[in-house]
Amino acid sequence: MDFQAGKQRVIRLNNLLKNVLENSWIELAARWILGITFIYASYHKILAPAGFAKIIYGYDLFPHGLINLIAIILPFLELVTGLALILVIYPRSAVLIINAMLLAFIFVLSINLIRGHEFDCGCFSIKKAGFLSSTEPMLVRDIIYLILGMQVFYFSGIRKGSILFRK
Amino acid sequence: MIRSGIPQMHVKKLSKEILLMLGVSVGLALIVNFFSPAGIALVGQWDTSQGVVTAKAKNDAVIDNLEIEDVKTAKKIYDSGNALFVDARSRNNFDHGHIAGAVSFPVGQFDNLIDAFLDQHPINQPIVTYCSGRTCEDSHNLARLLKDFGFSDVKVFVDGFPGWEAEGYPIE
Repeated sequence: MDFQAGKQRVIRLNNLLKNVLENSWIELAARWILGITFIYASYHKILAPAGFAKIIYGYDLFPHGLINLIAIILPFLELVTGLALILVIYPRSAVLIINAMLLAFIFVLSINLIRGHEFDCGCFSIKKAGFLSSTEPMLVRDIIYLILGMQVFYFSGIRKGSILFRK
Repeated sequence: MIRSGIPQMHVKKLSKEILLMLGVSVGLALIVNFFSPAGIALVGQWDTSQGVVTAKAKNDAVIDNLEIEDVKTAKKIYDSGNALFVDARSRNNFDHGHIAGAVSFPVGQFDNLIDAFLDQHPINQPIVTYCSGRTCEDSHNLARLLKDFGFSDVKVFVDGFPGWEAEGYPIE
């Protein structure tokens, strides 16, 4: 009996998970949240690459020779993949790149959290020197984005709002 | 169960699309950076032993020929008594400690403070700006703004308050 009930529960959970993964409204919401977030995040970095480079320097993790290149390229990667999600152009590939970026953000945030390094994340704004945000909420936020990204990736139905490249 | 793990997984197709998107992003980034007035060099100056760190932007405030690289040189200028030391940090930082005799001029409030500053100091007053050391650009920004307002003799003491304090020079 117990075994049967357990099996039932697993099946129910599986069905629930499947429903969530296959729900095109959830997919639309997740895709737009990620798209808008990444476009918004790219905006101030594109306007002020020098400020963003300084923030990357502040993380104290990257080789000096790469700091400027990261500051130049990363914002455009955010912009292009964010737009791709909204416009449904290669959404699965775009969300893979976004998830890779999120994993990278989670990785560097965690390293600095563990070693107690104070820094300005520079995620959404280039603040005046001396303002530091706390790391934990940023980590939680990025993990939520990552889960949204997984839904967008695993979704196999027809994506709402798409004109081209539906899959 | 979720259909066979990742549905319709075409690794080849995905890789092609990803490469395309990476290529478009890198290309766009380099083109915009090249033409943008806020563009930066491909490699910046991030070594504090070489001076103030900077991304070397086209509109960069960090001008090498204004810099006093050495604390002792700054002290000589200080001892000569001619130069006015101007603290570009926030008022709060200034109140916690500053170079003795320096005046506070937080660069973030430049527009509000410049008129009073012009009233108090002649345009030919030699000025040395400083902030929190070699990772701080505020002293350069302040120096550039003061030069724009006509001050002709402006220098930047790059080691700032921490460098001065470490040498045991007068603070208040």
